Amino acid sequence: MSQSLRPYLTAVRHSLQAALNLSNFSSQVVERHNRPEVEVPNASAELLLQPMHISRNEHEQVLIEPSVNSVRVSIKVKQADEIEQILVHKFTRFLEQRAESFYVLRRVAIPGFSISFLITNMHTETMNTEKLVDFIIEFMEEVDKEISEMKLFLNARARFVAEAYLGEFVY
Amino acid sequence: MEDWRRIDIDAFDPESGRLTEEDLKPPYATQVGLQELQPKISQLRSAATSGDFASAVQLATSDPPYNSDDATKLQYFSAVLEVLTQVRQAEIINIVKQLSPKQQEVLIKYLYKGMSLPEGQKQGGILLSWFEKVTQVSGVGPIVRYLSDRNTV
Repeated sequence: MSQSLRPYLTAVRHSLQAALNLSNFSSQVVERHNRPEVEVPNASAELLLQPMHISRNEHEQVLIEPSVNSVRVSIKVKQADEIEQILVHKFTRFLEQRAESFYVLRRVAIPGFSISFLITNMHTETMNTEKLVDFIIEFMEEVDKEISEMKLFLNARARFVAEAYLGEFVY
Repeated sequence: MEDWRRIDIDAFDPESGRLTEEDLKPPYATQVGLQELQPKISQLRSAATSGDFASAVQLATSDPPYNSDDATKLQYFSAVLEVLTQVRQAEIINIVKQLSPKQQEVLIKYLYKGMSLPEGQKQGGILLSWFEKVTQVSGVGPIVRYLSDRNTV
């Protein structure tokens, strides 16, 4: 693992461990509703805690927004050039369309970020919190690898196609 | 006309019991302006230029301006960031060990603030190594206290 990736991931891990301390909390406004308070517009301010920004540089950031019964984790994946922007967009869209099989994935990323997770007290009650943190960290590790692999593959394929096609015109 | 069904009527009801960010701020006795803070900022700068980083960080993290407006806080923050980025990697752990738990909390606040602003994000690597050292010394405690503290830097 590279030199600056390790502190980044440990910072995210510690922040998540601190934030994933959730309890069941019914809505204060609507009777018999139980909503993730971080997602409620005009929520009462005492239910929201201080948001945490963790950034490795301008292009790689994590935003953790904790509240009394839910945590929203948004990840900005490194996008160095236009190909990577397209790849990240396609990749996260693919995952978001299948959000229900990931349980904690949010269908739409919040503006400025590539992908968002929404972890509620239901998730921490039915799943192992440590494993949830591990999942997010592993996702962050894998997504960079995946994107650069796809980019290499795409370039190799483009070169092959171009050679095969343009070879027709060589006499 | 605006869709009246979507108007948030609770916002207009003084008895709705909804609290805003302002309501949660602890009542401060005094307001610290930029003039009162200027000596401390120049003290920070001079400590950093003379190479005495341990005392510079100690000074920066004790009694930060909670009760100021955002512009003043930003001024103070940029002085703190300057100090933090000048420290050599190897010295960080020793400086963090000398801080009291209270000062570590303040340091964590400045690290999170730094990482949320563009000028701090450019120095992301340095702030992250500070962060790592703080968690090595005292675990998740300062982060949990950061979460629930309404005093912002």
